[in-house]
Amino acid sequence: MLLLLLVFVLFILEGTLIPWLVPGAWQTRITPHLVYVVILYFSVYEHRHTGLVLGLTFGILHDIVFYGALIGTYSFAMGLSGYLLGLLSRSQRAPLPLMMIIVLLGSLLLDSILFGTYSLFELTHQPYTWALTNHIIPNVFVQFIFALAIYVPLRRQLEIITRRRSPDEAA
Amino acid sequence: MLKLFKLLGNKRLFILLMGLILFIAVMGFTLGSRTSLSWPEKFVKDTVGFVQYVFYKPASFVAGLFEDIANLRALQEENEQLKIALAHYTRDKATYNWIAQENERLYEKLQFTESQKELYNYTWKIAQVISVNDDPVNRTIVLNLGAREGVKEGMAVTSDKGLVGVISHVSNFTSTVKLVTSMDARDPNSNGIAVTAQGKENDVFGMIETFDQEQDMFLMTRIEDATPLKEEDLIVSSGIGGVFPRGMVIGKVKSIQVGEYGLTYTATVEPSASFTDWKELFIVFQPEGEEE
Repeated sequence: MLLLLLVFVLFILEGTLIPWLVPGAWQTRITPHLVYVVILYFSVYEHRHTGLVLGLTFGILHDIVFYGALIGTYSFAMGLSGYLLGLLSRSQRAPLPLMMIIVLLGSLLLDSILFGTYSLFELTHQPYTWALTNHIIPNVFVQFIFALAIYVPLRRQLEIITRRRSPDEAA
Repeated sequence: MLKLFKLLGNKRLFILLMGLILFIAVMGFTLGSRTSLSWPEKFVKDTVGFVQYVFYKPASFVAGLFEDIANLRALQEENEQLKIALAHYTRDKATYNWIAQENERLYEKLQFTESQKELYNYTWKIAQVISVNDDPVNRTIVLNLGAREGVKEGMAVTSDKGLVGVISHVSNFTSTVKLVTSMDARDPNSNGIAVTAQGKENDVFGMIETFDQEQDMFLMTRIEDATPLKEEDLIVSSGIGGVFPRGMVIGKVKSIQVGEYGLTYTATVEPSASFTDWKELFIVFQPEGEEE
């Protein structure tokens, strides 16, 4: 529960603090989805359904608060990719390299789904290659570094949660 | 065919497909112009907006502090420029007062109605930015003024430098601004802005409908006669059509070329607003009465 509150605080920070930390010239190109990285951890180390539900919830939150053109893009993209990447690692004991690969793939997938949705509704007419070099690749790097930084503390917390739960299930 | 049914019998796939349909329906429903938000949306927006406000203020303060230290050197130069600007201002103020009084007198003589007189009497309300979404396609920022203060959809939002965006959705205590960087002529939900050049209001007419994301420039299209327009001209909104307020600074002309079909001209306009490091913005309130 406390962990969820922390994710919410991270969501707030994503909209308030992060834009100030990114240098001016990069502000339109780096838009890290930090909450999404945490959701990927939940999806891998707890259960993919947790990832799905968290992705949908925080996605819809993002959609409503930053309602520009349409609602549902983030919710759809975060929910779907959170679930799919949880599917990728069936064991809850994914080692660091596998987790990092999941984060890289997940970042690519999320931004691609977002861009695909915007293209589908004709909100952008840029080619995919433009999006790839403009913001998707820079985002992947930032999210990768963030994932590395939170790996140790977050995994420990998640393991405590799952361990506490597993005896209950056994009983 | 049987195989397909079997595939659909897979519960997971079925749920996924239903989810996909549901989401596309929601996106399609929310895409068009909606009159107002539903109460759950307003509630979420207001509560999250409040928390964001608590976080954004100190963050912008600390960042501003560092920025100020970095800008210390440029201070003297800036001071010089401000002094020149002040001299210009005092000179122009005398002329302005004269013209304003003359104008008022003529209004009386010509028996303008009250609403005609008040047409261009805009009020600028200062608003704090409370959070930023830098999504490249769908950039939005959230302000701390909402329906309670009388903010409505479609109002222009400007910074001290130039036009920033248009209010897209309003809840009770917050409002979302859709930045002009998401303008696109091919998007049916994005409205163009009628513009002119400062000092050449009767000679230049054009529309700003598109923001070119590759160059970070506006495209000013439908210029019938490009001869009076020069590079470095300041482009402002002209207020033709009455929906968008006039006199909003948009940017400077960088280059002029022949347009798409060779009949009109297109100018690229460099935006005046920086679209980064948001602090205070102004919402432009148009006088009531005008909108029936």
